[in-house]
Amino acid sequence: MRLLWQFFQRFLRFKRPLTLGILCIPLAQLADIGVTLTIGSAIDGLEGATDRGFLVGLLALLAILALVHSVFRYFQRWLIVVVSRRFEVELKQDLFDKLTSLSFDFHNKSRSGDIVSRLTSDVENLRMFLGPGLMYSLGAVVIVPISIGLLFTMEPALALTMVLPMVLMGLAMKAFSPQLHRYSVAVQESLADISHRAQENFAGIRVVKGYNREDQQARLFGETSETNRVNQIRLASVRGKTHAAIHLANNLTFVAILVIGGMGLVDRNLTNGDLLIFIDLTFKVFWPLIALGWIAGMAPRALASAQRVDELLRTESDIQEPRVPDPRDTFEGALELEGVGYTYAGAERPALSGVDLTIPAGSTVGIVGPTGSGKSTLLNLIGRLFDAEGEIRLDGVPIRNLRLPALRGALGYVPQDSFLFSETYADNIRFGADEDLDEPELRRLIDRACMTEEVAEFPQDIETLIGERGVSLSGGQRQRTCIARALARDPRILVLDDCLSAVDTETERRLIAHLREEGESRTVILAAHRLNTVRDSDQILVLDENGAVEDLGTHDELVQKDGWYGRTWAQQQRQEELSEL
Amino acid sequence: MSPYSSDEVVATRVWDHSLFLRLLAFVKPHKKLFIQSFLILAALLALELTGPWVWRRALDGPIAASKAAGVVDTAPFVQSLLGWVAVYLVVIFIEIGFRYLEVAQIARTGQAVIHDLRRQLFLHMQRLDLTFFDKQPTGSLVTRVTSDVEYLNEMFTSGVVVLFFDMLKVVVIIGILFLLQWKLALTVTLTTPLLIGISIAFRGGARRAHRVVRSRLAALNGYLQEILSGIRVVQVFRREQRTSERFHEYLDGYFDANRRTIFLFALFYPSMSLAVYVIQGAALWIAVGLSLTGEVTFGLFLQFWFYLALLVRPIRELGERYNVLQSAFASAERIFQVLDTQPTVRSPETPRVIARGSGTPGHVRFEHVSFAYVEGKPVLEDVSFEIPPGTTVALVGATGAGKSTLVNLLLRFYDPTSGSISIDGVDIRELETGELRRRFGLVLQEDYLFAGTVRDNLVMDRPEVDADSLEEALETSRANVLIERLQGGLESEVAERGATFSTGERQLLAMARALAGRPDIIVLDEATASVDSATEARIEQATRSLLAGRSGLVVAHRLSTIRRANQILVMHKGRLRERGTHSELLAEGGLYARLYAMQFEVQDGAAEAV
Repeated sequence: MRLLWQFFQRFLRFKRPLTLGILCIPLAQLADIGVTLTIGSAIDGLEGATDRGFLVGLLALLAILALVHSVFRYFQRWLIVVVSRRFEVELKQDLFDKLTSLSFDFHNKSRSGDIVSRLTSDVENLRMFLGPGLMYSLGAVVIVPISIGLLFTMEPALALTMVLPMVLMGLAMKAFSPQLHRYSVAVQESLADISHRAQENFAGIRVVKGYNREDQQARLFGETSETNRVNQIRLASVRGKTHAAIHLANNLTFVAILVIGGMGLVDRNLTNGDLLIFIDLTFKVFWPLIALGWIAGMAPRALASAQRVDELLRTESDIQEPRVPDPRDTFEGALELEGVGYTYAGAERPALSGVDLTIPAGSTVGIVGPTGSGKSTLLNLIGRLFDAEGEIRLDGVPIRNLRLPALRGALGYVPQDSFLFSETYADNIRFGADEDLDEPELRRLIDRACMTEEVAEFPQDIETLIGERGVSLSGGQRQRTCIARALARDPRILVLDDCLSAVDTETERRLIAHLREEGESRTVILAAHRLNTVRDSDQILVLDENGAVEDLGTHDELVQKDGWYGRTWAQQQRQEELSEL
Repeated sequence: MSPYSSDEVVATRVWDHSLFLRLLAFVKPHKKLFIQSFLILAALLALELTGPWVWRRALDGPIAASKAAGVVDTAPFVQSLLGWVAVYLVVIFIEIGFRYLEVAQIARTGQAVIHDLRRQLFLHMQRLDLTFFDKQPTGSLVTRVTSDVEYLNEMFTSGVVVLFFDMLKVVVIIGILFLLQWKLALTVTLTTPLLIGISIAFRGGARRAHRVVRSRLAALNGYLQEILSGIRVVQVFRREQRTSERFHEYLDGYFDANRRTIFLFALFYPSMSLAVYVIQGAALWIAVGLSLTGEVTFGLFLQFWFYLALLVRPIRELGERYNVLQSAFASAERIFQVLDTQPTVRSPETPRVIARGSGTPGHVRFEHVSFAYVEGKPVLEDVSFEIPPGTTVALVGATGAGKSTLVNLLLRFYDPTSGSISIDGVDIRELETGELRRRFGLVLQEDYLFAGTVRDNLVMDRPEVDADSLEEALETSRANVLIERLQGGLESEVAERGATFSTGERQLLAMARALAGRPDIIVLDEATASVDSATEARIEQATRSLLAGRSGLVVAHRLSTIRRANQILVMHKGRLRERGTHSELLAEGGLYARLYAMQFEVQDGAAEAV
């Protein structure tokens, strides 16, 4: 509950609209009760009246009260619910900023579905509980005691008997809630089973058909569907009981009014107007009470959500800025790796271990090796996406001592998955640059990436949207665009993670020539599957499947040896020949 | 630039008569349940109307009489009042019973219909061609039998049944009001259009506003997803600030859209209650006038008052029901689209029956077979070959050469665009599909284990699999070692998609599964994934026993399998380029020789680079 309070304080930040909104609640409710009282007076005014003259004033009062009620009710909802949405939006922004600050290791470990659900359904649960929940419960908290107090002054016995059905209703809700919970969980689970069964069958349809399993699988599916049907009916049965209990409580109140009010009328100590007031108030108390039950049922869920959201807000990135940072922010681009390794959380063996490598400023190094040999891991360590074992130095300074923006500012990174955003083509390239790029510069970068001709065919040239809602690029086009993006920041060090695998041979040749020109003044680190890509590097690092260094040398040296490099080279050459048949 | 998609403005029809008639077909078998629902709702309506009537009788009877009598002994009046209280108690207890029945019965009815629909839909989908499954992502197919069906449930229950009764309630109440006191009823009737008008105007606005909220929320979540998957790029390029600002823009858009719906709802409830007050005020004015002339008693007025409260709720919920109907029709349309899709691969009306016994190992013949998944883009062109009984044909070639397609055609997952495939001289299109597939022992590359026990997965409900054939299959396939290792043996539950088994083990189980049916013809798509050497040895042995004495079509990746094949077919870009035995083809020095050198000479690197 302390946690919920903590989020409630966030909610209270919106003091003015919230205070105003909360003030509206009792005003709206009082006006509503006023309407009831006015109608009661009208009925009583009938006693002994000869014409409708007495009614004019009362109806005018009724109109004013009704209007007041409506206006306050409007503002109550508008102010409080808008605050709840503001709360939602701010909380989401905070969570988002937290997420982008967290290390890659964190993102690697967590399932993105889980993170998304914290930002969506958990935040929504909190909002519902703190916003509309607050509004409805305050409504009930105001109208119930006022109505009962009012009844008490009119007819104490009735006020007391009215409390009884309410208690009964509360007890019934409490009694049914474990069952309600159990069966809703069962329904959810059986729905998940249905979805799972369907998924399994549609994905494995070849086996299903190959073994003539259509009918049998349909029978199994039918059984799952049947379980769901039974659970749904059970749930409905409990819901029905709850529903009946609520109506019973409400109806018993009416019985009490009929008995006590009726006797009062017979005994002449109550009037017709009083009776109408009793009835009308019962109508008005009924729904707020149900809402109160609904909010009480929401509390455990809101609490669980509060925990999950809080946990995320409290997570700290394990990549920390140095306490006493090195002030440097321009670099030559010389890298030294000493005993560099990394083991992923939960992995049994290191993905990379004991890498020693010196990369002079302005030189090009190729990194090759079979899948899973740690090439990408090595590149990620240079940008401090993870903190490496051993030491990596940039211009002689351990990268841990550099300010993170300074280090990453020196890198132009082309990821293996050639990730692009669903924005315009130009924006995707601008993404790389720290300053805004003018159009000639954009065009130059596109040309460097050998994309000029393709971009010219886009429907809106460089302003074309990329992705599902725009043009979808081929793997090779994506890779080349990522290169343009990396070049856009004019980096000292260019880090290319197997970024030419989907580019055709002809374009690859041109691209490598461009990269060589661009690379003359830069340090280039190039991981690749296709050995052709790295053959001109100043040195080539060969990693083995355990992430250890197998060899280091130039293409000409390596190709002579009977190692992984030599064998793969021969085999890739043959493959190329074959594809040209 | 708007980051939002166009579905903010798309609308669907609210009422589609022909769709509704088709849906009624699903109601028919459950007529009884529907009739029961209607009876329960009718009874409930009657009871709801009786309560206020008791009030009137009590007020106009004993209470009014006691007033008229002046100060006398009140005991008889009280007694009579208590009599009415007793009636009232009976009415409300019956009513709450029906309240329970209402909820339970409506659920029972809706569930009965959608349970049927769901099963029928699923069975239909299972029988559709593979092209149907190729075209759509599995996720959206799953949606058909889950959320689309759920929407229809809403339609049958709160949509049609409750909507009908709500409308009936409004009409009946207004009718009764007229019977009770037509002048009073007239004021109500003249003012209720106000309520209905507000409700309908609100519905339209709310639906549009909600659609905007939904699509902006989708855009917001889409951006979040995108940033999460590109987090590395964001961080290395130090674009945390920029993405944060972008996210803020999405949040702003979302917030604005929400303000619109909040505004509408904030306006709706007060205007509804204001309208109710207007009706109440008008009724009060008329009622007071009428009671002055003695035309209206207090009891009658109270009955009226109760009925007014009953009248308001269905009208207020009218808009919501309307929206339920709309989304239900959209789902119905998607469901019928699936139900209207007919499989093109179908068993003939009068299938040929071929006697099947141990004596016919199956003679397969492909004659000038061509095939295209998409028109104009052939994946197979003019392929002819033969698998003489008891021999093995190995298919070799690069990815995309058309090997798997040949397998798919033989199993009749698709029909060839031209040419024909026959078994023992009979075109497979003349056979009953089930009968055809029963002859095959199928081992697929990504072989699939279903939820259930290991035994279920091996037997696959085939009548031809018995204890003997199962045991024999386990032994031949070397899968028995695997089973012995399991704690529950054959009765062990298979975890999600066989996650408890390695790729190699799954392939062994698939072989056991194939063998258990004592098939004539083996169709084997060898797994490419590397397995540990012990499993590799077992798979190799199992493959040999699998193919021994049977006709076999193998998409081959294992050198040992290829070498032992009676015939090797080299596929290249949809054409049959070379054929012969291993040594013949090597001697030929063509494509096969080169492929062989590439794939198998350097075993280590090959798996990586291909």
